[in-house]
Amino acid sequence: MVAEKKAKKTADNINARLALVMKSGKYVLGYRQTLKTPRAGKAKLVIIANNTPPLRKSEIEYYAMLAKTGVHHYTDNNIELGTACGKYFRCCTLSITDPGDSDIIRSMPQEQQPAA
Amino acid sequence: MGKFMKSGKVVLVLGGRFAGRKAIIVKNYDDGTQDKPYGHALVAGIDRYPRKVTRSMGKKKLKQRSKVKSFVKVLNFNHLMPTRYSVDINFEKTVVNKDIFRDPALKSKARREVKAKFEERYKTGKNKWFFQKLRF
Repeated sequence: MVAEKKAKKTADNINARLALVMKSGKYVLGYRQTLKTPRAGKAKLVIIANNTPPLRKSEIEYYAMLAKTGVHHYTDNNIELGTACGKYFRCCTLSITDPGDSDIIRSMPQEQQPAA
Repeated sequence: MGKFMKSGKVVLVLGGRFAGRKAIIVKNYDDGTQDKPYGHALVAGIDRYPRKVTRSMGKKKLKQRSKVKSFVKVLNFNHLMPTRYSVDINFEKTVVNKDIFRDPALKSKARREVKAKFEERYKTGKNKWFFQKLRF
């Protein structure tokens, strides 16, 4: 029960933080561009929707591991992730290159740790 | 965070004639150049992997089966899959560089230099993963 409530709270948290990044920071949406950003060393956080094909998911995780970038597995699917970004299209992967005013970078990895 | 497409990194070639082969980044051009406005790298890789050898084989057979055919190519980063492995072989920068692709004689010279270095490294038994064919 407590775990469920916490999960819901963190989902809202990340949505709010994403909205802030959309407004104030720099990001890239889409598979091709999110592969480019860790290669260039520019990605700060990579977010993957939960219904990305497992091969693609592991490929992005591998790139992020090589670049020592955090990966966040979004708890919803690509439709929801697109909506969370305020876009009218689906988005399976996104990469944050500059968080702007948001504290998404600092808080997300901490939540990742217990899961990992 | 950390840029990882650096020289010495082992990459897999994803497309073209050498698809599925392992290669080493010799020099990377992250921001591209005039005629290639995208991130790309000069890679040196293995075209034909050395065959399996066993203890019961004679010297001559061993030598034949340890031959490596190499290639040099300039590839877009999009067509490379980086790995966590790296091999540090120092290729002669004068022999293996970007200008060789204009002249076939220079290109084969570069390939021979790469081949020699690869065979030398294979014989020492280091970087075993690099000299094994990727099964897919």
